[in-house]
Amino acid sequence: MRRAARPFLVVSANSNDSLIGSSRMQDEIPAAASSPGTPPRVYLKGIAKYFPGVIANENVDIEVLPGEIHALLGENGAGKSTLMNILTGIYQPDAGEIIIDGYARQFASPVQAIAAGIGMVHQHFKLVQAFTVAENIHLGWDQTPKRTSAAVLEARTAELARAFNLQVKPGARVSDLSTGEQQRVEILRVLSRNAKILILDEPTAVLTPAEARELFRALRDFVSRGNSVIFISHKLDEVLEISDRISILRQGRKIATEKAADCDPRMLAKLMVGRDIVLDDMRGRAANAKPLSAEPVLKVAGLSALGDNGLPALHDINFSLRAGEILGIAGVAGNGQRELSQVLTGVRPALSGEIIIAGKTMAGLKAGEFAAAGIGHIPEDRLHSGLAPAMSITTNAVMREYGRPPVAKGGFFSRDAAGKLAREIASAADVAIPDFAMPIRNLSGGNQQRLVARREMRIADRILVAAYPSRGLDVGAINTMLRYIVELRDAGAGVILISEELEELLNLSDRIAVLYEGRIMGILDNDNLDIDEIGLMMGGRAHGYAGEAA
Amino acid sequence: MAYRIQRLPSSTPLIAFAARVIAVVLALLVTALILVITGHNPFELAGEVLSSSLFDSFGLQDLGVIFMPLMLTGLSVAIGQQIGAWNIGAEGQFYAGAFAATAIGLFIPAPDWLSLILMGVGGFAAGAIWILVPTLAKAYADVSELISTLLLNFVAALLVYYVATGPWHDRMTNSATPKVAAEIPEFWGAIHWGFPIAILIAIVLALVLSNTKWGYEVRLSGSNPSAAKYAGIPVRRHLIMVMLLSGAIAGFAGMLEVAGTVHRLQGGISNNYGYIGIMVAVLARGSLIGVIFTGAFMAFIQNSGIILQTQGLTTSAVLAMTGLILFLTAIGEELSYYRITRDKV
Repeated sequence: MRRAARPFLVVSANSNDSLIGSSRMQDEIPAAASSPGTPPRVYLKGIAKYFPGVIANENVDIEVLPGEIHALLGENGAGKSTLMNILTGIYQPDAGEIIIDGYARQFASPVQAIAAGIGMVHQHFKLVQAFTVAENIHLGWDQTPKRTSAAVLEARTAELARAFNLQVKPGARVSDLSTGEQQRVEILRVLSRNAKILILDEPTAVLTPAEARELFRALRDFVSRGNSVIFISHKLDEVLEISDRISILRQGRKIATEKAADCDPRMLAKLMVGRDIVLDDMRGRAANAKPLSAEPVLKVAGLSALGDNGLPALHDINFSLRAGEILGIAGVAGNGQRELSQVLTGVRPALSGEIIIAGKTMAGLKAGEFAAAGIGHIPEDRLHSGLAPAMSITTNAVMREYGRPPVAKGGFFSRDAAGKLAREIASAADVAIPDFAMPIRNLSGGNQQRLVARREMRIADRILVAAYPSRGLDVGAINTMLRYIVELRDAGAGVILISEELEELLNLSDRIAVLYEGRIMGILDNDNLDIDEIGLMMGGRAHGYAGEAA
Repeated sequence: MAYRIQRLPSSTPLIAFAARVIAVVLALLVTALILVITGHNPFELAGEVLSSSLFDSFGLQDLGVIFMPLMLTGLSVAIGQQIGAWNIGAEGQFYAGAFAATAIGLFIPAPDWLSLILMGVGGFAAGAIWILVPTLAKAYADVSELISTLLLNFVAALLVYYVATGPWHDRMTNSATPKVAAEIPEFWGAIHWGFPIAILIAIVLALVLSNTKWGYEVRLSGSNPSAAKYAGIPVRRHLIMVMLLSGAIAGFAGMLEVAGTVHRLQGGISNNYGYIGIMVAVLARGSLIGVIFTGAFMAFIQNSGIILQTQGLTTSAVLAMTGLILFLTAIGEELSYYRITRDKV
């Protein structure tokens, strides 16, 4: 057995039982009940943390055992980050205890937590881009030799990389590395400080599938030496794949800790959001839904446009959209999706071609006129182009309707009417807002997106262009988003849904168009679709596409 | 028991206000300390300052005379901030307005009332023209207005100095133009009707910004131009309009100075009002109504400086004091985002 053959099992200085505990761990999935007498590597007991008006954590009990990969699952804002900030000494708990290897500890600063063997790899790497890998590894480390040279540092780094079985290039500049390689440097830096507990915050969000597999291998190797990993994520499949046990947080409280072997995605999703998730076929119409229109509500013919860099980003785009229909746009991000959503909503001028909305050509018109024609737009980067983050929730909520009654009367802007409209949008979005004068950046990403979606749905009488509406959201918020889109479709609007989640497109779209390098490779009816075929088209292989009659 | 500092996502208006008050008090304490070290009696000087400014009708008039231009240049900078532009050139626009008003007053024969109206229009126009090139450069080529408006200040100052001592100079003084005949009538000592007009401009602009469609569009464009573009707002047109308005207000301040207070054009007529106006706007934290109060405060500081100079303090000491207030206010502003909590053990 490979694990047993390793000569060094970590014997914690603080614990006389951990050797026994660790040996047990080699053959079993660790579970608190199965190893009596073994102090958990980390025991968070009754942790609470309060921020003004917010319960970030309350009464959280979590045990992480030696040799275990323990996943922390929860929606955005469930309190995962706060809990880890407490464990790593960034915050101090308002109540509860941190017990490491059987000893209660207090970390007044991250330095003390690191000294206790707790290391964290953040979602946004904390590396110096202009430094080499070796320099980053040795930065701020008391083991770094006082007098040294690049060669010595690189040799030491290579030695560490060998010891921890992580491949890095000691002499390379960090700015030249891929995100996967940068992450390895981060992990190596944490491990080199003798971390026994490695915390990873959404580690796969920045990785390709191949890099993620490699990361998982490294993590299994790490825990096989009796160490522990806390793995924060909201991706269900990945959590099931990598972890031994899963703790679910909801609204700051721990809901459950389960063995991964006993879990399935549906059950985890339910625990996470506290209700059943319908993440499946949503193409069925409600009984009172408006039927598809005979005439298209949007026709696009021969459309082309330039990207930000001044080079052509869209070539000869042709399609039509009927009222009550969802047209999905599939494709790897960066193949013209952003430009397409902007041209269709008047934010970006078209170079040539035609956009006809309900029989009226939109040539030369701007975003304001598109909105007036009944086009709503959920932009892909809501904070940069859909909202003014520093301004109040009211100001942001009325962005689409400030120019029409009741908010505008003549040239005047009625603050009362604006406040009323904002409350209306917030209640439709089911977002509880204590203070409408507070900057909208104080809201969570999910709540911002709900408000944007509701705001846009109000003006989307004819068409909604939704670019990556579920990006960066957790399962519950995604589900809400998709429900909104279906609701709008049933109300008789045409929807353009741009997404990189194929499953989402298959669940919602009536037809799916595939974008590749600014061209539509084909438009397929979403009916017994061959997913492999879409995959091929996303990779640039055209299929039976002659364009639709414009 | 451990105390910790925690950063909050936003500061409450009350705490922000308190932070500024504390900053000013601290600055005054430090100033007092320096005065003591240099052998002055701070209480005596403070008493002197108060009795000859706030508690004296002539003192109050002096204060008002400084307040008018300061509030307007502060307003000019604050208006620019609404659309996200830093008008560092209020000084130059002030000179330009004073220059145009003087030219109209000296060389266009007209009855006084008409002359004053022409001078007012000329002041507005000259201020707008002085910021025109920086505005267009920013709107169409994304050239930083910080540099372009600043550089034009020197051009304007030297131009005024040149005409006041050269072609337009008065035979008697040699350092200023002859007296401009038309004068804004005074209603209380040295305080003329420019005073209520200046306050009215601030109030009207504040109301326009918060209660009109145009104001909403301007504020949104200033806060996030790409969101404004997305909402269908003509961002560039608003940027140009607001920057020209910013210049026009500073130009009008220059006109008031000539027609109401100095009655002639001379080098250095701006008294650094344009630069101090930046401080007025910063202290007001983007509030146009706030500019009225911070303008009054800065006028008091400036006036106190003049009084202190008569008591034997140097200009540099007074400048250091104003700098200290701004510095401490900036720190207070940042600190108002933090609160101190006590750990329960």
